[in-house]
Amino acid sequence: MKTTFKLFAAMFAFTALVACSEDEPEAPVIPNEEELITTLKWQLVSQDEQDTLNFLFRDLDGDGGNAPLVEISDLKANTSYNARISLLNELENPIEDITLEVAAEAEDHQFFYESSLSGLSLSYADSDLNGKPVGILSTITTTDESSGNLSITLLHMPDKFANGVEAGDRTAAGGETDISVSFTINVKP
Amino acid sequence: MLNLKQLFFFLVFFAASSLLAQDCQLKVSGIIYDIKSQQAIADANVYSQDRRQGTISNSEGFFEISNLCGGELHLFISHIGCSPRSVFIHLSADTNLVIWLDHSNEVLNEVSVAANQISRSLEPQKALTAEIISENAASDLATVLENLNGLSSLGNGAKISKPVVQGLYGNRLSVINNGVVHSGQQWGNDHAPEIDPLMAGSLSVLKGSAAIEYMGSSLGSVILVEPRAMPTDPHVHGAAQYFFESNGRGQVINAQIEQKATGLSWRFAGSLKKNGDQKTATYYLRNTGREEANAVVQLEKRYAKKWQSKLYYSLNSSKLGLLRGSQIGNLSDLQLALEQTEPFFTEDDFSYRIESPRQEVQHHLLKASQLFSMDKNRGFELNYAWQLNIRQEFDIRRAERGDRPALSLSENNHFWELKYHSQSAKGWHWQSALQYNLRDNYNVPETGILPLVPDYINREWGAYFRAYKQWYKWAIDFGARADYILQNVAAISITAPRELLRYRNEFFNPKASLALSYEFSKDLKTNLNLGYSQRNPAINELYSNGLHQGVSGIEEGDPNLREEQSFKSSIDLSYQPNERWNFEVLAFIQPINNFIYLQPQDELRLTIRGAFPVFKYEQSNALLRGLELQTNFDPKGPLRVDANFSYLRGDNREEKIPLVFMPANRIFAALNYELPSWGVWEKLEFQVSNRFVFEQKHLLASQDFVAPPPSYNLVGVKASAERQIANNRWHFFVKADNLFNVAYRDYLNRQRYFADDLGINCSIGLGLKF
Repeated sequence: MKTTFKLFAAMFAFTALVACSEDEPEAPVIPNEEELITTLKWQLVSQDEQDTLNFLFRDLDGDGGNAPLVEISDLKANTSYNARISLLNELENPIEDITLEVAAEAEDHQFFYESSLSGLSLSYADSDLNGKPVGILSTITTTDESSGNLSITLLHMPDKFANGVEAGDRTAAGGETDISVSFTINVKP
Repeated sequence: MLNLKQLFFFLVFFAASSLLAQDCQLKVSGIIYDIKSQQAIADANVYSQDRRQGTISNSEGFFEISNLCGGELHLFISHIGCSPRSVFIHLSADTNLVIWLDHSNEVLNEVSVAANQISRSLEPQKALTAEIISENAASDLATVLENLNGLSSLGNGAKISKPVVQGLYGNRLSVINNGVVHSGQQWGNDHAPEIDPLMAGSLSVLKGSAAIEYMGSSLGSVILVEPRAMPTDPHVHGAAQYFFESNGRGQVINAQIEQKATGLSWRFAGSLKKNGDQKTATYYLRNTGREEANAVVQLEKRYAKKWQSKLYYSLNSSKLGLLRGSQIGNLSDLQLALEQTEPFFTEDDFSYRIESPRQEVQHHLLKASQLFSMDKNRGFELNYAWQLNIRQEFDIRRAERGDRPALSLSENNHFWELKYHSQSAKGWHWQSALQYNLRDNYNVPETGILPLVPDYINREWGAYFRAYKQWYKWAIDFGARADYILQNVAAISITAPRELLRYRNEFFNPKASLALSYEFSKDLKTNLNLGYSQRNPAINELYSNGLHQGVSGIEEGDPNLREEQSFKSSIDLSYQPNERWNFEVLAFIQPINNFIYLQPQDELRLTIRGAFPVFKYEQSNALLRGLELQTNFDPKGPLRVDANFSYLRGDNREEKIPLVFMPANRIFAALNYELPSWGVWEKLEFQVSNRFVFEQKHLLASQDFVAPPPSYNLVGVKASAERQIANNRWHFFVKADNLFNVAYRDYLNRQRYFADDLGINCSIGLGLKF
């Protein structure tokens, strides 16, 4: 009986010894977050090509705790602008242009613009293979002086054939939000 | 308290009489008893498959089959409401048998009959048998367990859920599979334990002191998944089952084959399950299909009486679809989804297709045991178990990345245990063990996304003892354990630029328990359980950091969290005023100090995907209390009534707010009608059942995005029968769940934000034993 007990004790001691070497986990591979969108640039060029306005939303740490950087410009009343969105991943080197991914899957993406300004109207200026708008390009026309907010939402896999979606109403679209930023807009004389 | 003899699931006594009997003049006779009431069972069916002879027991439980030839003989004993039993004997003389059957659906736990094992627990143990499990062949583990009073499930969809016992789940409730704590990504509320209930022999819950034997983070109760007992018959036997359910057009095939060959007992079992889109009362739930395959190999060898080796391997591999309309990007998506009557992406047609979002999970368990009995009363047991859990979760992603997992984790777990048990002459049972566990969690770098939980290596050393003694009307069961935990963590920062963060944690968790039972009379028994336990913060509570899609919020772990401390007291009383009535009451109270929970912060964090609410893991003092009532009325006729009720309340005592995710109170009642035989059919059983689940009203409006769903009532019907065809025993059953196709939502199912729960579901099952 004593021999058996010793045998068991020895086996356990052996496993315990093996167990005691304190291994640190290997350094994890820092993922290549190629899908991350850190930056949204919204460039407005007046149709007479006299003015170029830049809006920027940049959040380099993604969901992390550092506040994003937001830059805005003022629009002129009674002016039409050609607007263009570009999405970037600035964590990548070289900087990756995510807009190309969105354009390549245009049928599965759509930008929605919602504004609280009375003196501002917006229309889509591009379309996918089904003739539905994408919203990378748009046209903005201002009338009176006003100010308010404009939100830009990019939906992935919306139902682009659903009611009102073509006109820019996302209510029936479904899908999930890839981008949702809001800019303060001032339309000045 | 039951004595050891009663704990034997059934006992066979051989009382050989005459050796002079001639060939084909032999007799087998016996008496069949009910193990609980100790009354003789009349009208039980006894059939010899190899001789095609059978009989029925008389009113004294007596049966006799005569004119038998010598040689090997299989007897199959069945009775309404009992688990059928097979008996194998080598007939060489007239033989008299005593056979114990358990005459209830919830049987006493199948306690190992080895004399040197402590009984499971002083509390009355309720277990679900293989029969109940096979009638729920297409359900997941937690859903099958809901057949036990006081259990509910929490999850995401009908087939992805985890069990909840007395308000605890996930990190606070371990699932013990074949004596090994199931490892895997238990932190996720939408991660179901990777165990096929069909591969188990019984499922039960340990609520009292016996839970002290297991390592892990349980605070009181554990779920026990026990394999079937090894065969005792030297011939090859087996069983096969086919199951179909209308909702989701699910199919299950399941087979097992076993033998006690000379020197080696073996069993192989396997199952395949598949279903497509499930359906609510009115619409299909797109992408809620499932594909699952399971296999089990079980070997047992005994040498020279004192040594015994066991080997067990199981594989669970599954692909689980999540409701397509439940993937959301931010709060406004959720708000829009909540306003829908039908979820986005709902389709008119049924489909078996499983796309993203989905989970693909594999779980391997290998357990090797070496048992050594020094004598009748003392023995050692050395166990080693290896588990590998591979989990991949796929989301809808841009640029064909949908085929790349968004979460990919591989967890290796090694467990060693050296156990000693003994029984003294004075009736003390003693059990103690040394345990060691190594868990290595690794993020497979293929996702292109920051991992939700970090890589870590967790080492745990533990030791426990447990003692048990019964004298006169008293029984005592007490024990203590201590665990030391060393954690090495390698995380990636969520701030840019990304950098490596290392943490080293040490925890020490003592646990202790005491149980007392007293028998006032044969009709009235009571048990008292007291337990102290500690749980160290889980890895997600310490280090999770980032956007949690499921809750549309940013979750922040706290590396400075301390251990949770729980003091649980429970008392139960069982009263049987006469043979017909049986009552059982259980009440418990469980204060938990440093209870870890997600606290919403006064912060909305702006990201490029919009503003998200921030939740932080914080600690506070919580209090859980509950009541479980159960009654059976059995007038010894064809009718039987079962009813039970469970009540639970959880509060955060410091903040004076309710705890979230507490199961709502519920009532269940079933009316059973049973016939021993009707024509060629035997063991006919009919059941009508009703489950009423109350609305969870103990919650503040600010604690959820939407108010908990209203109460609901579900009616189910079931019929089953058996038939002997040639040498084989066939079992047939049909049932319908949610008979009236009620549209309802359950508070603990995350899918309730988006869609209704399942509508009517009709199933048929066909089983064969050979």
